[in-house]
Amino acid sequence: MPLSLNTRVLIAASAVLFSFFGLAEITLEKIYHDSIEQDMEERMFGHVYALISAAEMGDDGRLIMDKELPDTRFYDPESGLFGEVSSNDGKWLWRSESMQGMSIPFTKDLPRLAQSSRQVTLPDGHRLYLFSYGVVWSDSPDPGQDYTFSVAQDMTEFDARIAAFRASLWGTLGGVALLLLAVQWGILRWGLLPLKHAANELRAIEEGAQTRLKGRYPLELQTLTSNINGLLSHQREHLERYRRTLGDLAHSLKTPLAILQSAAENRDGKTDLPNVVLEQVERMNQLTGYQLRRAATSGWTVLSAPIAVQGIVEKVLAGLHKVYADKGVQVVTELQPDLEFAGDEGDLMEIVGNLTDNAFKWCRGQVHVRARAEAGPRNGEMDLFIHVEDDGPGIPSEMVRYVMQRGRRADSDIAGHGIGLSIVRDIVQLYGGTLEIGESELGGAAVHVWLPAGPKG
Amino acid sequence: MRVLVVEDELRLREELATRLRQEGFVVDQAADGEEGQYLGREYPIDVGVVDLGLPKLSGIDLIRHLRSEGKAFPILILTARDRWQDKVEGLEAGGDDYLVKPFHMEELLARLKALMRRSAGWTQSELIFGSLHVDIGTQQVIVDEKSIELTAYEYRVLEYLVLRAGQVVSKSELTEHIYDQDFDRDSNVIEVFIGRLRRKLDPDGALNVIETLRGRGYRFALTPTSENRNA
Repeated sequence: MPLSLNTRVLIAASAVLFSFFGLAEITLEKIYHDSIEQDMEERMFGHVYALISAAEMGDDGRLIMDKELPDTRFYDPESGLFGEVSSNDGKWLWRSESMQGMSIPFTKDLPRLAQSSRQVTLPDGHRLYLFSYGVVWSDSPDPGQDYTFSVAQDMTEFDARIAAFRASLWGTLGGVALLLLAVQWGILRWGLLPLKHAANELRAIEEGAQTRLKGRYPLELQTLTSNINGLLSHQREHLERYRRTLGDLAHSLKTPLAILQSAAENRDGKTDLPNVVLEQVERMNQLTGYQLRRAATSGWTVLSAPIAVQGIVEKVLAGLHKVYADKGVQVVTELQPDLEFAGDEGDLMEIVGNLTDNAFKWCRGQVHVRARAEAGPRNGEMDLFIHVEDDGPGIPSEMVRYVMQRGRRADSDIAGHGIGLSIVRDIVQLYGGTLEIGESELGGAAVHVWLPAGPKG
Repeated sequence: MRVLVVEDELRLREELATRLRQEGFVVDQAADGEEGQYLGREYPIDVGVVDLGLPKLSGIDLIRHLRSEGKAFPILILTARDRWQDKVEGLEAGGDDYLVKPFHMEELLARLKALMRRSAGWTQSELIFGSLHVDIGTQQVIVDEKSIELTAYEYRVLEYLVLRAGQVVSKSELTEHIYDQDFDRDSNVIEVFIGRLRRKLDPDGALNVIETLRGRGYRFALTPTSENRNA
């Protein structure tokens, strides 16, 4: 099973959050580290100046460090602050009392005004920050003699400050990240609520508790939900029609079956059984044929591409040319090339097939077929207009009346040739279209069909 | 005329075969699409009757396969489905006509004959050659307005030759299309039929109805009078 939307968004959001806070942590720590290091360097510089001001040039040209240093830590071995003064020939001239026997690898031989700072780790594990400064004494008798003043500071405090900062940073950022995740989760739940709602409604539909999605859905889901509703009502209508057709069929078969039964049971010798059977078989054949076609009618389709009308008409005509090859029918077609129909392909074929088949059957040699978008007679909207005419004898007026009677079920007693027209009428009615039967200028029948461009509402 | 009947319903197939044999057809029967394809490929079929709902290979696919293998004999589609979508699909696949079940046997025979006539290029069921008329619908032969009585085999030979008027038809071709496979194929029998036909249609030998082309076969030599043959 693919990951749920919830999980996906949560995983993605967590990844983004954690990388953002990770980078923020590293950057902030670096900035803080740099700033306290600079602070340290400034303080070391201060210590070096204190040493310089405590130094005096003796008359013998030697540096003397006998003034009291203001910072008493230079006298305390535990203080972690150490000082050294060396001449640039590599010998040390003075070491603070705090250094007591320690060996600290101070930088030596710095040229004048040069400074150096570095960190070292002593063999006993202590980390020290070393700072050295190159100095030349202006009133020195020996102008070539330079000195290096160095200070060292134990880094325990420095490290402790960094660690404390890091700890507080992690705590704060981690807390914020968790908070954001929780908010994110809440937003997600809220955002996906309509989907959950739709799933619940679908379950209710499945259980038969409701027949369509009733809730109000956000814009992004409306296409989906209205399509689902369309599909559902389409399916319901279908089912309804199947039930009705099945009922009609079963009932209409009872009469011929009764006739057959009584004919078979009648032993008076007067009944012409084979003929009765043939008659009733023919009748039942027409009934089943008619009802089957009615049941197969689909109506407006949902979620499927519109049908190119021209292609359908041409396919049907190609078939009819084969079947009526002997007749050598001249067909004139005027088919609007981009014409489309939003219903079922089979239904359109049924309409076109029945109308053109009748025309081919009855014509003397001429058939006209037109299809175009045209304003319908009923509402004036642009309908799909199909027009078929021939130069045959025309359709008898009683059959026209018969077929056009509203609400008439053509299966009650179908006249052979009217069956095609009855089917066309039923399909046209299903689509809410209009059927007109008239006379053609060619001399025969003219049948007009208007089908709405799409379902209403 | 050799007809291929592909129908899976045994009873209907037998009925069809019996009736078609009565009408003078040589009948090859198949109960499924694959068998139908085999027979259609291996035998010199003149016309086919194909049910659409067949086991193993559907009727539509059978017709498509036969057509793609270059088999051009006309095919009448039998189907229980009468939606136009199904009809158009069958005709598109290569069928030439369709008949919806249940049907009248007479209707089926008339359609089959019309298909065979059409595939031979004739547009009407009555073929007229001057004073000789052959109606392949009613199987009537008239010379000088007098009806000629022919036996079943004589008529079959004549019909086959007449539909191919002007073409040379070999003895073995005639035998194949007029006899069942397991029938005695003595070619002398054909010569006997031809001889009898000549005597019956043209007693004084003035018309020279059927020519013998030595080593090649026979040819119906009259030219049609009416405009009922396509170019």
